[in-house]
Amino acid sequence: MTVTIKDAEIREHLRERSVATLRRRTYISGVMTALCWLAITFAAVPLVAVIYQLLRRGIPVIVKSGFFTTLPQQPTIFDANNTGGVSNALVGSLAVIVYAALFAVPIGVLMGVYLAESTSKFASLLRIITATMVGAPSILMGLFAFEVVVQQMHVGFSIIAGSFGLAVLVLPVLATATEIAIRNVPSTYREAGLALGAKPSTTSLKIVLPAASTGIVSGIILALSRAVGETAPILLVIGGAYAIAWHPNQAASALPFQMFQDVQSNYPSLQNETWGIALVLVGAVFIISFAARLWAARKKKVQR
Amino acid sequence: MTSVSGITDPQFEDPRLLPAAMSLRDVSVAFHGRVAVRDVTFDVPANRVTALIGPSGSGKTTLLRSLNRLHDLTKGASVSGTILLGDTDIYQGGIPTTVLRSRIGMVFQRPNPFPTMTIYENAVAGLRFNGVKKKSVLDAAAESALTSADLWDSVKQRLNAHAATLSGGEQQRLCIARALAVEPEVLLMDEPTSALDPISTKRIEELMVELKKRVTIVIVTHNMQQAARVSDLTAFLLMGEDRAGEQIEVSPTLKLFSAPEDQRTLDYIQGRFG
Ligand SMILES: Nc1ncnc2c1ncn2[C@@H]1O[C@H](COP(=O)(O)OP(=O)(O)O)[C@@H](O)[C@H]1O
Ligand SMILES: [Mg+2]
Repeated sequence: MTVTIKDAEIREHLRERSVATLRRRTYISGVMTALCWLAITFAAVPLVAVIYQLLRRGIPVIVKSGFFTTLPQQPTIFDANNTGGVSNALVGSLAVIVYAALFAVPIGVLMGVYLAESTSKFASLLRIITATMVGAPSILMGLFAFEVVVQQMHVGFSIIAGSFGLAVLVLPVLATATEIAIRNVPSTYREAGLALGAKPSTTSLKIVLPAASTGIVSGIILALSRAVGETAPILLVIGGAYAIAWHPNQAASALPFQMFQDVQSNYPSLQNETWGIALVLVGAVFIISFAARLWAARKKKVQR
Repeated sequence: MTSVSGITDPQFEDPRLLPAAMSLRDVSVAFHGRVAVRDVTFDVPANRVTALIGPSGSGKTTLLRSLNRLHDLTKGASVSGTILLGDTDIYQGGIPTTVLRSRIGMVFQRPNPFPTMTIYENAVAGLRFNGVKKKSVLDAAAESALTSADLWDSVKQRLNAHAATLSGGEQQRLCIARALAVEPEVLLMDEPTSALDPISTKRIEELMVELKKRVTIVIVTHNMQQAARVSDLTAFLLMGEDRAGEQIEVSPTLKLFSAPEDQRTLDYIQGRFG
């Protein structure tokens, strides 16, 4: 085959064009990469700053002897650093979250199962409501708990009222996490169950739910660990108490509640203490979610 | 000896003359009104292997899944025509789907042992779902099904290991055991070896030939050599003009691969399309 002049010209033209295109692409790619880094830096700066401040201010507070084990004290003009500890708030937080979990976990998981399995109109409506409630301001749950538990049910300011607020807050989160975990189970397992002659309900219960359990448990742990730090749902209803309390009907303190109180005090030492409490809350979330991830990863490996 | 044009093998037996385990009459399946496979009519001979072949998208899987009513759960799917299991109309005959599906087992394209269950639990899962609780019965069924699936010897020491610890080929044989444990009359297999290596594939093909003594097999495959090796009857599907799968030819495998009746079958087996 002969190569005509024309062919050579065209080829040369194409080559030049592709070189130009390549150069332009390299340039655009470079600019984009720089922009990405800029965005990441902007995003990271505040995050790193928060963590830095949390550690710098929080660590000296929590290493103080008696921080976890003693009741709070009122600083005086003679001893302005006499802040005591957070033992009551620690116990109160644990009690609030445990009661909230007892209520919210079973209902939230069942709701998630229903949302994942049902195709009815009611399920669609419930899905919309759930999505809305996930995004609702958390003070609303506090208001709701105040109205229902404190006032209408005449329980008064109490741990259970706080638990109720937190439970309502995490319910839609748990339902959504469960729904997603179930939907992530490949349909081939469900089909295999049905193809063996199992009833759809048996298939859901014995095959799909166990396969989704790792995801569901991780969802529960993450939702609850975050709920521990929530202030608004308990603020209006837990009552505040300077003694250790865990009975549902007792008023109590809680870590975020105490932060809210301390930060309003006139004593810098008490204001400073809030950093320690914040560090405890963030630390708890960090440790729990880290452990949950580790556990889920290990579980996955076993089943692979 | 029957006379089928183009076949000279004196051992040849025409599977179409055997009693039918299942019969399909004008079976069509549509999704949201769009027909995926149309007007399929043939008999599935009892204790033989029937292969469904055809290019991707010709409706093989769709047709296979209509045989155990797996489309019932798919929104917008509709099956028309008549499908008989023995004398029972599986859609209109009033047979509960749970009963139907324990009489017609299924093996899927990718091995899908239940991920949270052990080897033993997988093998007896179908029996447990159907209410069998007695340990001695389950133990016996597990051994028998795993033996039938050519897996017993390699797993008997580790029945309580997770199914996921098995190789792909072993997992697929576990799925076969799981289906066999319920003692179905018919076993549907959707490209059961497409995710496996040649050695595992060969073992499963040998297994099929062994299994047809006790169960009728319908296998989807787009591997024509496989259809030729294991099946007695072959149905060839091809998309028509509206992309709906149509039955081009249903012939004894020996005949279909040596002297097909339809030019399109010849084109397909000679690799001219698909
Ligand atoms: N669940 C479904 N919903 C809608 N269309 C489907 C569904 N399943 C299969 N189809 C369609 O049916 C046709 C046949 O598919 P399939 O039976 O999987 O073919 P094959 O198994 O022969 O490759 C395809 O056009 C596919 O898109
Ligand atoms: Mg297919």
